[in-house]
Amino acid sequence: MDTKKLVADMKARFEHNSAKHYLKEKYSSKLCVAEQGGYWKADVNTISFLNSLTSKTVVLLDLYDIPVSVNVKKLRDKLQSVYDTVMTEWHKEYKDLETKR
Amino acid sequence: MTRGALLFAFNSPKVDYYAMAEYTAKRINHFLDLPVTIVTDEHSIPKNTTYKFDNVVISKPDKDNKFRDDIWINKGRYQAYEYSPYDETILLDVDYMVNSDRLLQVFDYVKDYACHQNIAQLMIPEGQQEQLSNISFPTLWATVLGFRKTEKTEQLFACMKMIQKNYSHYAALFNFSPDIYRNDFSLTIAHRLINGHHFDKSNILPWNLMHVWLRTNLFVEKKTKYNTKYTVIYDHHKNGKVKKEYITIKDMDFHVINKDVFLELM
Repeated sequence: MDTKKLVADMKARFEHNSAKHYLKEKYSSKLCVAEQGGYWKADVNTISFLNSLTSKTVVLLDLYDIPVSVNVKKLRDKLQSVYDTVMTEWHKEYKDLETKR
Repeated sequence: MTRGALLFAFNSPKVDYYAMAEYTAKRINHFLDLPVTIVTDEHSIPKNTTYKFDNVVISKPDKDNKFRDDIWINKGRYQAYEYSPYDETILLDVDYMVNSDRLLQVFDYVKDYACHQNIAQLMIPEGQQEQLSNISFPTLWATVLGFRKTEKTEQLFACMKMIQKNYSHYAALFNFSPDIYRNDFSLTIAHRLINGHHFDKSNILPWNLMHVWLRTNLFVEKKTKYNTKYTVIYDHHKNGKVKKEYITIKDMDFHVINKDVFLELM
């Protein structure tokens, strides 16, 4: 199907808010990580906190409010890796959609 | 440890659910590399199909879920525990469009069972969450239900069976309409009951279920066997006028509420 023609025929307008919402739903779900017996979100706060620690282990509350003893370096490296991969993809797709009209 | 997906598909007079199940099963095989078992009846299986499910479970459909001129053959979902041949199962609605390997992560979150509580709606960023009723609590969604065969999961499905059989009672108790049986409502209540009327969030998947709601149409960008790119067109009703809005999406799973839209995508 020629979707570009379809969109033109319908005089449909690209809805940037809906596109941003779709991207947020798609990529924020990919930031969820199961690691070391707990469930985490690879977000800026968690990664920053892990970066600030000097100890080898720490007890963190996971997404389900369960305290989990974790290896700091291992969890930080995992979350950082997931964050970098997902956010790079998110940024790329956002840039692609940003130019649409 | 065996893993697989389970689909229920009984054809209604209006909708070929078996064809939808075949389409979804092929995508599960492709994107998730999982075997698929189907629960169906002999009348739904076409004579000339070439697709082979991992298992075919023949079951007698319960056809008494009628409202106005429509019939929904969605009862009996509680039998998933009994019918699944797998140690770990993803029970999926056949109108769930698999476009990625996202569902594999469900297994990471299944201690006993795991499902969605929150939804997002494509093209409706401000969409509301569904409640059982105005004076009740948020709905859980039976669209994607990952489970292991544990004692707690067995209790959940036994409880869903009890609720299905006494649906009017629970509808009166929780103040929702008993006219149409919904597995979502049975799951919501069963989850509370088996946890002592406490909401245990450890059974909730930590991301949203994406819905394609009404007034939203999807068009395949390029028809391939496993296409994952779509143009989404939405009729935005505002001030008595309808504006056409669109976005493009790719590689994202979603649940299609309107069966006609799903059938058009096949």
